[in-house]
Amino acid sequence: MSRRIVAPIVGVLVFLGLWELFVRVFDVRPFVLRAPSKALSYLWDFRSDYASAAWVTVQHAVVGLAIALVIGLLVGALLAASPFLEHASQPVLTLIQVAPWFAYVSSVVLAFGSGTKPALFMVALVCLPAFTFAATSGMRTVEPASLELLHSVDASHWEVMHRLRLPSAAPVLFTTARFNWGLALAASYYVEGANFSDQGLGALGKKAAAHYEGDALWAAVFAMVILGLGGLLLLSLLERVVLRWHVSQRNARN
Amino acid sequence: MSRIVVNDLTKVYGDLAVVDPLTLSIASGEFVALLGPSGCGKTTLLRILAGLEPASAGTVLVNDAPPADARAHKRVAMVPQQPGLLPWRTVRANANLLLDVNRGANPVGGAGADDVERLLHEVGLGDFLDTYPHELSGGMQQRVALVRALALGAPFLVMDEPFAALDEITRSEMRDLLNHLVEGKGVTVLFITHSISEAVALSDRVLVSSPRPSRVVADITIDLPRPRPSDVDDLPRFVELCADVRHALHRGMQ
Repeated sequence: MSRRIVAPIVGVLVFLGLWELFVRVFDVRPFVLRAPSKALSYLWDFRSDYASAAWVTVQHAVVGLAIALVIGLLVGALLAASPFLEHASQPVLTLIQVAPWFAYVSSVVLAFGSGTKPALFMVALVCLPAFTFAATSGMRTVEPASLELLHSVDASHWEVMHRLRLPSAAPVLFTTARFNWGLALAASYYVEGANFSDQGLGALGKKAAAHYEGDALWAAVFAMVILGLGGLLLLSLLERVVLRWHVSQRNARN
Repeated sequence: MSRIVVNDLTKVYGDLAVVDPLTLSIASGEFVALLGPSGCGKTTLLRILAGLEPASAGTVLVNDAPPADARAHKRVAMVPQQPGLLPWRTVRANANLLLDVNRGANPVGGAGADDVERLLHEVGLGDFLDTYPHELSGGMQQRVALVRALALGAPFLVMDEPFAALDEITRSEMRDLLNHLVEGKGVTVLFITHSISEAVALSDRVLVSSPRPSRVVADITIDLPRPRPSDVDDLPRFVELCADVRHALHRGMQ
């Protein structure tokens, strides 16, 4: 128990220490790489600015992720039911997944205008393929005996879906949510830097980069890292509650 | 409570005949075991009787109605070979599953929550009501599956080699338990097995099936006392009946 909490903290501290040491010993120019102590102290000094910007970024990421999850579940349910639809949509979803989304962000901003809309659109779009693939395969991999059993009492499609397919898909959806959380944050940050507004960590970072303010830029990077880790921690806690029956959580507890 | 009539039933998959013209009838409240070699189409017959699959030709009646009707009204309770418990449901919730699904069709005489709990106590799971399936042994899981089926209060119970995956000791325990649970309840049972002693110990009548395509080659009445004593295996008559069934099975293989 203590090892599982202490070990990661030790790992991070050692990493930050080595980084600090590297910058000081080799006298790296501040413009190239900041010492973490400087970036973190800058972040602390301007904590209220960064906190309110982070709140905007979190909203973009969380709402966008939720939109992607809902659409992914709806589309996934359709694709799980129809192999034809699955084969027809796979190339499109794969295209969305592999296309360099940061390359066409400016088009999205032009289409949706400045502010929240392009950020939500972008986050939902980049998170959609992984959620859809996960929902499709998760809903399909149900225990045949359980499925047969539900059919034996004439369960409706909807009942099979919410009593069997959805819970069966939950573990893989959680795994995908973790992966997508990083993607969602990156997309929020990028769109916030490109959508002509001064809202969000992305806007702070963009302004800092434009003015060659290294401390401010790296403080934004660290703020993003904190959001990323915080989100993963919350997801893990949620997973432990929701999936306490699942083999992954059983092993984690023992 | 439920009379099963099968007349000239055939089932073909493409060119493969799985069930040859097959005729049988099961009286109301009778416990019939269908015994045959693996892959002889026993499960297919069970699925047709449960309304999960249509017959290719012939007539099948469950209490004067087509099996699909019986299924829609939840008048057939199934115990599959694998317990098929839902890992995210506790023992109690799993035992209630068939009642929870398609609620509109619950028969008036069906079990309530109290009855389900009483049944769970009766099969020795009283201390495990809030336990998850992964914490149970194979025998305990199959007991939950048994209660899940009985809780439905359906007049017709179909069981597909439910004890095949259990060890010898657990299997004889389950045999006694099943006798105890269905004796005098008026439930009609079709029990599929490839164990001769299990068939003889449980049933009123053993139907011996040929290898695929499935035909009934012998119909042996089991005149052992009811209620069956748990040491029924020691009776000379039990040994004789097992021999009769074994010879019939061998004749059917030729």
